[in-house]
Amino acid sequence: MLRFVQPAFPCLWLKSYISRRIKKTDESLVLQRYFHTFIFLATSLFLLVSCKGDFISKKDELVAAFESSPTNLDPRLATDANSGRIIGLIFSSLLRFDEKLNLVSDLSEKWENPNPVTYIFHIKKAVKFHNGRELTAEDVKYTFESILNPSFLSPHRKSYEKVKAIIAIDKYTVKFLLSEPYAPFLINMTMGIVPKDDAEKAKRDFTIRPIGTGPFVFERWIADERIELKRNADYFEGKAKLSKLIFKIISDDTIRLLGLKTGEIDFIQNAIPPDLISSLSKDKNITILTGDGVNYSYLGFNLTDPVLKDKRVRKAIAYAIDRNSIITNLLAGIAEPAAGVLPKSNWAYEEDVTKYEYNPDKARRLLDEAGFADPDGDGHKERFRLVYKTTNNDLRKMIGEVLQKNLKEVGIGLDIRTYEWGTFYNDIKTGNFQLYSLSWIGIVDPDIYYSIFHSDMMPPNGNNRNRYKNTEIDRLVAEGQRVLSYKDRKKIYSKVQKIAAEELPYISLWHQKNVAAMRKDVKGFVLFPDGDFSSFKNIYKE
Amino acid sequence: MARYIIKRLILLFPVVFGVATLVFFLIHMIPGDPVEVMLGETAMPSAKEDLRKALGLDKGLAEQYITFLKNTASGDLGRSLHTSRPVLSAVIERYPATLELTITALIISILISIPAGIISAVKKNSIIDRLAMLSALFGVSIPNFWLGPLLIILFSVQLGLLPVAGRESIYHLMLPALTLGMGMAAILSRMTRASMLEVLNKEYITAARAKGLSNFAVIVKHGLRNALIPVVTVIGLQFGALLSGAVITETIFSWPGIGRLMIQAINTRDYPLVQGCILIIALSYVLINLLTDILYAYIDPRIRYE
Repeated sequence: MLRFVQPAFPCLWLKSYISRRIKKTDESLVLQRYFHTFIFLATSLFLLVSCKGDFISKKDELVAAFESSPTNLDPRLATDANSGRIIGLIFSSLLRFDEKLNLVSDLSEKWENPNPVTYIFHIKKAVKFHNGRELTAEDVKYTFESILNPSFLSPHRKSYEKVKAIIAIDKYTVKFLLSEPYAPFLINMTMGIVPKDDAEKAKRDFTIRPIGTGPFVFERWIADERIELKRNADYFEGKAKLSKLIFKIISDDTIRLLGLKTGEIDFIQNAIPPDLISSLSKDKNITILTGDGVNYSYLGFNLTDPVLKDKRVRKAIAYAIDRNSIITNLLAGIAEPAAGVLPKSNWAYEEDVTKYEYNPDKARRLLDEAGFADPDGDGHKERFRLVYKTTNNDLRKMIGEVLQKNLKEVGIGLDIRTYEWGTFYNDIKTGNFQLYSLSWIGIVDPDIYYSIFHSDMMPPNGNNRNRYKNTEIDRLVAEGQRVLSYKDRKKIYSKVQKIAAEELPYISLWHQKNVAAMRKDVKGFVLFPDGDFSSFKNIYKE
Repeated sequence: MARYIIKRLILLFPVVFGVATLVFFLIHMIPGDPVEVMLGETAMPSAKEDLRKALGLDKGLAEQYITFLKNTASGDLGRSLHTSRPVLSAVIERYPATLELTITALIISILISIPAGIISAVKKNSIIDRLAMLSALFGVSIPNFWLGPLLIILFSVQLGLLPVAGRESIYHLMLPALTLGMGMAAILSRMTRASMLEVLNKEYITAARAKGLSNFAVIVKHGLRNALIPVVTVIGLQFGALLSGAVITETIFSWPGIGRLMIQAINTRDYPLVQGCILIIALSYVLINLLTDILYAYIDPRIRYE
């Protein structure tokens, strides 16, 4: 990998040159010689260092950079996005999402839904785990049963609560019985299937030597430095084009991009600060792709707060925020203004909801109506002050500053408090906030409304952090789980979206787009809305 | 000497106990819940309770503290809350990377600073002295998070000589070690210069010159050896500080050392891992100081330990 040049030769020359020059015999000679020795050492060191190494990635491998380390490679335990990306390459699931977020077969050949509480999956034959053993219905049964086992402590257990029994009918058929109809059931079938024998033996150590049926085989994981995968020659959909994938963990934004510029890194997805995109797009060796995403940024309220529980105040804030300016100036255009939790590409998306375009005058009128008159018109005095909490992420801080300016224009004072993530998250969970902004990532099913707006879902039970309570919403989101047809569900969630846009438990900010930056020679990559790396098996280098 | 070392080693225990106690309470005082961070958004409350119980986080703080002390005393630093790996092996796995980086940085800084300091002192107020001290001022003032990217832009992006980040070969070590070594070289060269200047004015230097010794012998044997004591102290302190303070450099260059491990552990409220990292760092700090003290005796024969 490294090309060595012999550093000794130029150094010897330098030394003889120096000694030829030294003819003086005065007292400073010794000192000078010391100095020259130092120069000699420094030069040798420099030459040694300067032996040009070949650090750019090889032709049959792809080096991708992550901003943070995946935390767990066991699909049953992982919750963070980067772990999910790698798990998607090592493991296969019964179903998976395609690039339009439709559910398609992966390990299952076909599936049936004979009645609302029964699902039968027919598994493809001759699918081999990376240990060489064939995948059977028993592995599927084991995977989901281990998640449901309370002592396994899987964070995903809740998604499978409604599963009453899993029956392996024969080697290639598995049946799921539910306790009641549950519409989001199928999207939960995108869980990676683990081999029963190995997973049982390894227990929680399965995360450090994961074995799946996916297009890539886990090779090694150096904590906080890199994860390496190699091609699975026996992959059931045909082997991948590249022989190796390397994921490097580089947490500094600038350094990650410099790596891309030097060719040491081939690929970065989403971990690119918006203000650096323009500098990247000027580089001839780099291609940038953007596409719609499934993440949603919002401004959250504490609805038990005496000021914020007034709908007019929330509407006023919604009108006061200049989303387009933030998107253009801070997010480099890599976002779409949002009107609700669901992105436009979602099948249940409702276009016809109340929208809040930037309108400070209307905001001021609403605040006056709500009884918060501006004490001195355009002067310095404020109607009231709010505290906005956010993480110490630079971009989030800047967004906070724009919100502060926007709200000042309508007479609302805003104190920005930034916290390290753990502290911030704790405050949000315990309701210790007035205003905050956060994102929901990976929104594929409208059932998300249940966990964020149903009144039973206030922490610690779920994610209704704003403490929102609306009986109509409660009824609708519960019904949305039971009704199975897309058409009927669409009607239900269309109502939910209209109510939410009118009541504003959240102010919708934007849907972040996906951005991928890669070296020009990387071909065959397809951007997925959920950021999945499924297309990695088709990537090659020119 | 042996007695002195034993005495110092015994003193380690109260230090470790103090550090352990301080760390335990400080980390538990930070708001945030490891279980929340671990299980994420979708977990059910009962799962959180189960996990809390499994990790022993459901007990009172005093009870947790006593268990922690007992285990630490028997050399068991516990298991990481996140990866359930033994803390000791996680820390030991990362330690070589940090040590490798720190020692190389130390060597680079000594190679630069001692000659620079001597020359500056001998050629006081000359152009070389001015230049050396000016660069030392730069070295001290430039923060690592700026110097690091700057070196990368020069050596990796512009010249294409060295890799940007990671820990694969000796080449990957060069830029982080240089970044880390620069700041230290600056401090050390100023220290060497000041110390040398003081020594060179001493009477025994005049005596050495008077007996006709060569200038080299005067400066190196009589001057440098006496001037080194404060320098060695600073090297010892700096080395200890580097072990724990290489966090920024490690983060910039994706160097998988103990500093990054600790930051990650703090972010995820991985209590045992934070405690383990800090204990090991504190221990190394104390040991390095002991080593420095022992070194004195070799540099200056007048120093004897009882």
